[in-house]
Amino acid sequence: MTSTPAEPAWQRLSPRMLLVHPLHEALRELPLLIAVVVFGSATDNSVWVVAVVWVIAVVGVTRWFTTTYRIEPDPEAGRVQLRSGLLRRKVLSMPRNRIRSVETDTRLLHRLLGLTVLRVSTGQQAAGDTVFELDAVESSQVPRLRKILLAHTGQAAASGPEPGRSAVLARWQPSWLRYSALNLSGLVTIGAAMGALYQSGAWAALQDSPLSRTWRDAAERFGAPQTAAVGAGVVLAAAIVLAVLRSALTYGNLVLSRSFGVTGDVLELSHGLLRVRHHSYDMRRLRGGTLRRPLLVRLLGGARLDAAMTGVTGAGESSVLLPPCPRATAEQVLTGLVADPVAVTGPLRRHGPVAARRRWTRAMMLPGALGAGLAVTAAVDGVPVWYWSLWAGLTLGAALLAADRVRALGHRVDQHWLSARTGSWEQRRYCIATAGIIGWTVHQSWFQRRAGVATLIAATAAGVKAYRVLDVPEEWAWSVAAQASPWVAHSKWAR
Amino acid sequence: MVDPTNPPSSRAPLVWALTGAVPWLVFAVLQLGWAVADQRLEWLHVGAVAVTALGLLVSVVIAPLWRYRVHRWDVSDQAVYTRTGWLVQERRIAPISRVQTVDTYRGPLDRLLGLANVRVTTASSAGAVHIVALDAPVADRVVAHLTDIASLGTEDAT
Repeated sequence: MTSTPAEPAWQRLSPRMLLVHPLHEALRELPLLIAVVVFGSATDNSVWVVAVVWVIAVVGVTRWFTTTYRIEPDPEAGRVQLRSGLLRRKVLSMPRNRIRSVETDTRLLHRLLGLTVLRVSTGQQAAGDTVFELDAVESSQVPRLRKILLAHTGQAAASGPEPGRSAVLARWQPSWLRYSALNLSGLVTIGAAMGALYQSGAWAALQDSPLSRTWRDAAERFGAPQTAAVGAGVVLAAAIVLAVLRSALTYGNLVLSRSFGVTGDVLELSHGLLRVRHHSYDMRRLRGGTLRRPLLVRLLGGARLDAAMTGVTGAGESSVLLPPCPRATAEQVLTGLVADPVAVTGPLRRHGPVAARRRWTRAMMLPGALGAGLAVTAAVDGVPVWYWSLWAGLTLGAALLAADRVRALGHRVDQHWLSARTGSWEQRRYCIATAGIIGWTVHQSWFQRRAGVATLIAATAAGVKAYRVLDVPEEWAWSVAAQASPWVAHSKWAR
Repeated sequence: MVDPTNPPSSRAPLVWALTGAVPWLVFAVLQLGWAVADQRLEWLHVGAVAVTALGLLVSVVIAPLWRYRVHRWDVSDQAVYTRTGWLVQERRIAPISRVQTVDTYRGPLDRLLGLANVRVTTASSAGAVHIVALDAPVADRVVAHLTDIASLGTEDAT
């Protein structure tokens, strides 16, 4: 070992993890545990059970002994390192000046013991083994560690700890839950539960039980359509309750704030009722944001807000800044972040009749094909009238979607921001800083070339990486790019 | 924007045709085996042969020639600019100042025919520019030129 006196000592995680690890290990080896218990009770030999439980507990405990971390003192040249593994030792090491965000995550068990998981991420995407995760440190240590780890992001790191200015941008309100009521996640959960029930054979057992027989009798007395309606109502109500519950647990107590302190300009987001998560984002990584307004949320006047940051995955939970909330709140927060109201709510330039025609053609393709099929079938041997009414309903729905898509489509560009809006079912309007755009693609399918339109794609390192402007007239495509990026306007190919 | 001007290698259609032919030839061999083993359902055999012939025509003759007419590339001191595709066409431009890596890659067929592809990546996974099917010396020159002017790694380019 070549350790100089300047080198910091390796530190262990919180000793309270000695309680958590065996339990987590037991949960992870649950199938094995169940098998052993069943085997043990079948053979009347409980020694096995005790032995296996011991092994699992010891493996869990060794995790604590084998995991150590250290933070080298120099915020620019120093590294943070994490050593772990019993048989296969590994050292994860990252330069401190590459740290872009620090996240914390407090699951229920951790929370009861006053522990917090701390996750450090650089610009690169990390998964599985390469995640730098301190699982776990004492919660009281977190502010100190966060300050150390993000020290390099601040200009005033040397000027000592001054109480930073901090402004709350948005605070969760119970009334936000109404936007989650129409979420389909509840239905999905119920479907998954039913599937599991069916798979495990519990369904068959239920069908023979006296309980289900009395239910079936009641249903027969009630009449089939009524029973079906009641069943659908029950499922729908359960789905709504589940969706609202899930939203409340995940996003309850959400606070989004921005602080200017020793660690620079940082955006802080914390949320969760039981499992509390906290993210800090370096504002210099912000390249814009996306207002998402899914149809079911839009009907109630709501919107969601996603951040476009370099080094943060653009899709899914990691980029969420605000869950479904009143539209005004989401717009206000995004306006505050990008400091340009026009980019967020300003009027958009429409894409013209060709783009509109393409929306209609696409939406009418399926109803058209179905209608033709129905007409042929009707000519050959007739179809019931309600088939036609179903078809008419589908066609009307498709037409409404198409009209809404046409209405949504548009973009605006100036030298600082590119904004565009698309979609109906999943409507989104993004704004992206033109300084963050590092490539342009003009994409044309054969149909688009014949119609004289093109899809313009702005490539950035942030968010979902590719931001599209759908079906602009092809003569506009490069002028939009040129307006946003001077290096396009001044290139030798520009006319 | 005017289109970029430099065409790919004159052997580019050949390499595209060979690459395009491989899956269809595999399909043809399978068909031959099937025809030897089982002669019933004649119409199905005829249909399969027609599909294979059409596939070969499109991927060996039409697509490579079409591609050769579309594919163009150019490099200036500020940007890399390419035009690619046949049915679906793309024009892509990336600024040299934001380039992260420049490298060449060559498949077995490329090596056989003395071709190379240049890949220019930026920090965005949606923004990589590929200049495909160049003569190997041209590709080397492009890479040398790009690494020269790109001054790689001076900032973090996001």
